[in-house]
Amino acid sequence: MTEPFLSIRNLRKTFGSFVAVHDVTIDIPKGEFLTFLGPSGSGKSTTLYAIAGFQDPTSGDVLLEGRSLLSVPSHKRNIGMVFQRYTLFQHLTVAENVAFPLRVRRRPDAEVNRKVAEMLSLVRLEGFGGRYPGALSGGQQQRVALARALAYDPPILLMDEPLSALDKKLREEIQAEIRRIHRETGVTILYVTHDQDEALHLSDRIALFRDGRIAQIGTGEDLYLRPACEFVASFIGNSNFLPAEHLQTTDGAATIRLADGSIVSGVKATQEFGQGQKTRLMVRPEAFRLRPGPATAGLAVEFIDAAFFGERRRVVARTSAGQEIDVRPPSDMANDHDETAQQSGQVFFDPAAAFLFPALQTT
Amino acid sequence: MLLDYDRLGWLRGALLAFTGLVAAFLLLPVVFIVLLSFGSSRWLAFPPPGWTLKWYEELFAEPAWLEAALTSARIATMATVLAVVIGLMASFALVRGKFRGRDAVRGLLLTPMVLPVVVFAIAIYAFFLRIGLGGTTAGFVIAHTVLALPFAIIPISAALEGFDKSIEDAAIVCGASPFEAKLRVTLPSIKIGIFSAAIFAFLASWDEVVVAIFMASPTLQTLPVKIWGSLRQDLSPVIAAASSLLVLLTLSLMIVTALIRRKLST
Repeated sequence: MTEPFLSIRNLRKTFGSFVAVHDVTIDIPKGEFLTFLGPSGSGKSTTLYAIAGFQDPTSGDVLLEGRSLLSVPSHKRNIGMVFQRYTLFQHLTVAENVAFPLRVRRRPDAEVNRKVAEMLSLVRLEGFGGRYPGALSGGQQQRVALARALAYDPPILLMDEPLSALDKKLREEIQAEIRRIHRETGVTILYVTHDQDEALHLSDRIALFRDGRIAQIGTGEDLYLRPACEFVASFIGNSNFLPAEHLQTTDGAATIRLADGSIVSGVKATQEFGQGQKTRLMVRPEAFRLRPGPATAGLAVEFIDAAFFGERRRVVARTSAGQEIDVRPPSDMANDHDETAQQSGQVFFDPAAAFLFPALQTT
Repeated sequence: MLLDYDRLGWLRGALLAFTGLVAAFLLLPVVFIVLLSFGSSRWLAFPPPGWTLKWYEELFAEPAWLEAALTSARIATMATVLAVVIGLMASFALVRGKFRGRDAVRGLLLTPMVLPVVVFAIAIYAFFLRIGLGGTTAGFVIAHTVLALPFAIIPISAALEGFDKSIEDAAIVCGASPFEAKLRVTLPSIKIGIFSAAIFAFLASWDEVVVAIFMASPTLQTLPVKIWGSLRQDLSPVIAAASSLLVLLTLSLMIVTALIRRKLST
């Protein structure tokens, strides 16, 4: 087996009696864009800081090309990092900021100047070299920080929620820049965020953190289409959970009874269930349709509220068991009839797009 | 806001008058000293019967005055350097450190500011006599450093608290050793605090008289001690001249400070 580029092995970090990171193991191939996604306090930043060397793990190891980084002090790890807050050196110009890592490495002037020019053009800030950080916008400051972090060609770039202080439009713009820079430089990037759209937009793979553990690691499609547990299903995208009783499973396709007594077969079982076990059926709002398809299951509902959003409708409906569900069917260009205009009706879903989870989840 | 200056109405005039009165009460004695230093009366009569510069001539004719001024400057400079260096290290420990008794250490370092100066003076005098530092420049500098320390720690700590440690971390991740990061990034970022510390520490020593009287010897006298001593012998207008120069120097120091601070903060 070939040695992974960066390897995090059984990482654990405790602060007193609080366990910030339980047991995290990830192998990261060279050039990957991996995002640590999760709610605040889930251990994603702590894991990143352990790689940067600002937090000593309680146990476990961080290996770069097979060699442990733990005994190497932060300033000798040769890692690039962009922080959540603005961390430019205010008393230095933009060019001097980008040159800083090269100056502390005592590189010759000619190389420093060439590299600074190259980096400023990489982040599209040519001509800003003589300005001071105070004269730049937040987005420009983070781009300078990115240039500074890449100036010494680090093998790994760590980014700790670098866009969280920016407004939405600017955030999307810089996300596109980050994607381009990742493509052009081929640097391995570990990116921390709590924003799932950002994670889906940027990453090759996403590690979804929860309570100091990785709930699931995979591509955006894996997490959205094949969630390993209810937490993943509810964190990535939107979801409805309908109480259901499990009847039987064959080849991963389960048959269940919903609260209104209707039987649905062919839903995806995410694990083994016993007969009669209480379960929850997850259906994404966008998996619902307002008209029956070839193999759909129907659910009798009352329509409470409906709004038209062009590409889709957003409907609030109530099942006969009294549960409110979120329904977002795509608009049908070929048929402009609005079923939600009636007081009650049915919504339909493909059982193959619904997932069965255990009813009781310890939180 | 409850007390909005723009909406005070007639009270605004009253407030201005009161403020002016307080300022006058505080500053007029200084103005009189300066006026008297140019007056021709030997007995400091006011208004002066005539104007003269002879007290300044007398002042500069006597080398003891110049010597005292130089001694003051020398001791204040050394105390300033020591207070700023120690204050810097103490501030890093107090702001960044997490150790038992941190608040107690902070309190201890700030004690000289609240302790009656004469109590401190007697204590340190007795102690220095015992260990042979009485009447020496070293003893003088140490005593004034202790007095100046709170004035150094307060602005440096405040500046350090306002400095985001992530910036220092960024410098370290860039490859700077923790020491180099502090030297090249943190210190330049808190330079206004360090500069304020230096000015306050210098002034704390420069115009200090109580401890200085205890530390002084016939051969080691600062300007305030010399003024005090002369006052007790005779009330000569030369003292008014010396005091005026002291005021002038302090004033110019404050103006230079204000100018440099304005330049640093842009």
